[in-house]
Amino acid sequence: MQKLELLNLSKSFSAFKALSDVNIELLSGETHALMGENGAGKTTLIKILAGILKPDQMVMKIDNNIQKVNSAIDSKNLGFNFIHQELNIVSYLSVAENMFLSHPYPMRYGALINWNKIYKLSKDALKKLDITHINVEDKCASLSTGDQMLVKIASCLIKTETSPTLYVFDEPTAALTIQESEKLFKVISNLKKKKAIILYVSHRMNEILEISDRVTILRDGLNVLTEESSKLSKEKIIRSMIGKDLSDNFPKKTGKLNDKVIIEVSNGHTKNIKNINFKINEGEVLGISGLANSGQREIFNMLMGIDNLVKGKLNFLNKIYKPTGPKDAWKKLISFVPRERRRDALILKMSVKFNTTLPHYAKLSKFFFLANKKKENNITNELSKKVQLKYKNNNQSIYQLSGGNQQKVVFGRALASNPKLLLLDEPTRGVDVGAKLDIYKLIRKLTKNGCGIILNSTDLSEIIGMCDRILVLKNHEQYKIIENLDVTTKDLLSNFYEEKKI
Amino acid sequence: MNIMNIIKKYGTLIGFLSIIIFFTINLPTTFLTANNLINISQQISMLAVVAFTMTIVMVMNDFDLSVGSMASLSGIVAAVLFSMGYPIWIGIIAALLVGIIGGLFNGFLVSIIGILPFVATLGTLTMFSGFAFLVSGGKTIFGRDIPTEFSSFARTGLEITSLDIKIPFLSILALLILLIVWFILEQTIYGRRLYAIGGNTEASFLAGIKVKQLRLSAFALTGLGAAIAGLMYSSRVASSNPTQGSGLMLEAIAAVFLGMTMSEEGEPRVLFTLLGVLILGVLDNGLTQMNVDSYIREILIGFIVILAVAFSSITKRRN
Repeated sequence: MQKLELLNLSKSFSAFKALSDVNIELLSGETHALMGENGAGKTTLIKILAGILKPDQMVMKIDNNIQKVNSAIDSKNLGFNFIHQELNIVSYLSVAENMFLSHPYPMRYGALINWNKIYKLSKDALKKLDITHINVEDKCASLSTGDQMLVKIASCLIKTETSPTLYVFDEPTAALTIQESEKLFKVISNLKKKKAIILYVSHRMNEILEISDRVTILRDGLNVLTEESSKLSKEKIIRSMIGKDLSDNFPKKTGKLNDKVIIEVSNGHTKNIKNINFKINEGEVLGISGLANSGQREIFNMLMGIDNLVKGKLNFLNKIYKPTGPKDAWKKLISFVPRERRRDALILKMSVKFNTTLPHYAKLSKFFFLANKKKENNITNELSKKVQLKYKNNNQSIYQLSGGNQQKVVFGRALASNPKLLLLDEPTRGVDVGAKLDIYKLIRKLTKNGCGIILNSTDLSEIIGMCDRILVLKNHEQYKIIENLDVTTKDLLSNFYEEKKI
Repeated sequence: MNIMNIIKKYGTLIGFLSIIIFFTINLPTTFLTANNLINISQQISMLAVVAFTMTIVMVMNDFDLSVGSMASLSGIVAAVLFSMGYPIWIGIIAALLVGIIGGLFNGFLVSIIGILPFVATLGTLTMFSGFAFLVSGGKTIFGRDIPTEFSSFARTGLEITSLDIKIPFLSILALLILLIVWFILEQTIYGRRLYAIGGNTEASFLAGIKVKQLRLSAFALTGLGAAIAGLMYSSRVASSNPTQGSGLMLEAIAAVFLGMTMSEEGEPRVLFTLLGVLILGVLDNGLTQMNVDSYIREILIGFIVILAVAFSSITKRRN
């Protein structure tokens, strides 16, 4: 195979256009990087290649012959392989067995497994990529994440008759150490020598410029740029990824900052994060930013008392704050909107009322144990109005609501106690534009009343549009705090990619 | 509302009514009589108590397989103390304490240690059963060792002279426990929290619910329920043997499952558990009267439980 072309690729999810009329040409022996902000359409494109999503419109040509991918099996038969952070590895099976997961085992006398042959074929496949440090008889559990990834890559080379055509790497280095990444890049260059096509998705600018031959950038579902890497700079890539500045859409801040301190973290360490130092005044919004999984979630875990402080000090409302767990945090008027509302915040089959009142049962009860239905209904009505929830009635099940409205229920719940500090972890993820704006307005209203807010978001324009100061995290450590005065997305991004000067 | 929705919502109820109609037609003189109905209520009272309290842990998506052997153990503990000459109230309190402690132990294994409920309570099932044999020396305790005041509780009841019926105390006790469990699960914030844990443990934890403590306490209540059922059984047969409760666990879980097919979102509700218990009790009573072989009865009951749950799974998948 010489060439894989995707032509006129379009895909929408109801009104939202994830990809519109995208054209990409991938050449064998080439590493093609695919970049773009979250929501730009990268994942949709990958899922279409994998046969998981069906495009609304697409012509796929392999060496000028039209091909169809209607299912995951079609994709596999075409020789497409997908490597992402979450590997399909059965940890208690050996390396060789994992490599044979999707291949028939070689047999002896038609009934016994030919283990010698399995080990030999596995070893050969690894050797094709110059991987010699992995013992195929070891259990996969004993391997590092990086080595597991290499095993997964090599397992596509078990079959010799049909050589794999396309390797898609989706943020492969997110979970790898530098040394492991180096090994991976070596293997990728070996794959290139074997004339495979490599589509490489990553946010890491240095990596992209180092290993890719060409770069395609998606923005809002459009292919805005395809260019040879040698002709690109970090700045140009970032500019193409962001496009025009969106911060005008955010409601303006009203009222002045108060200098009464809500929370102060000094030298905060937990088992997962280091050196956290910040202070939030009344009415202030602190943004948390950084590459994916740089410690954002762990800051919330520290404040909610899920991860214990091992060093440093927390001060909340001028008192030493040592949370024993989420219950304690809620009780002290710290409210939390977790990242994945369906997994971490909502009980989908239960009602709007049930979910809105969930952290506040004790406060709403009669004699500390009896559920007070009237009070529960009143507060649900009141909060639903406050967050402009569109719903039928208090007893409607959560799963019947749209994503934006589900998120509003989580918000309403967070507001019930009139919190002093509100923790927002990706509050607008998967929320439509209208609901997003409602949420922004709500944040403004809360800060006006003196609530302090910590906002984590991968949407950088949201961070810039909403926050007073921005805490940048790098490798689970605080990198710096930036005053948000004329900061652009570009400035912020370049912070993420800056190497720390030692 | 289409036909699938009707089946989903009322299928089990329709099944129950058809069973009643079937027996009424086939046993016209004996089935639908006040005496037989009272008799059924007494027959199912032990199972009912176990099933009601089993509902408490199943609300959290947990299980307790050890309820049957706990019922055996508690009856044995009481009987052994009776035979040693202790007063009745000491025997009863000791038996109930054994239930609470055993339940707490289950809760400890499941919630603090983190063993799957299925495995943990399978282990304690065997342990409790072993204790029952150990304490009793493997023998049935009966006759003069069981005080008549204790066994007469099960044989007497509340007389309603105007209707010329006697409602057995065992049935009244079961009804009382139904009320208590209903109150706990449906009216208190404790119950709300258990349903929250069952719906989404992680979300409940992040919303400030003390998941570990609540799971622990719920298992204790289930253990207590099993102990009460064990005492009821001993009182009814005026004896205790180390295997007396062995049939209770499967039927109690089956009853909760039957009940779950009737609730809105497939969650356990104790009033629906009552219906589940009634279905099993009526089937048992009617089939016995029709002289159906007990083995065939078992096959039928197992089949009906599978049928009901299968129906509700299929209809749920379609939605």
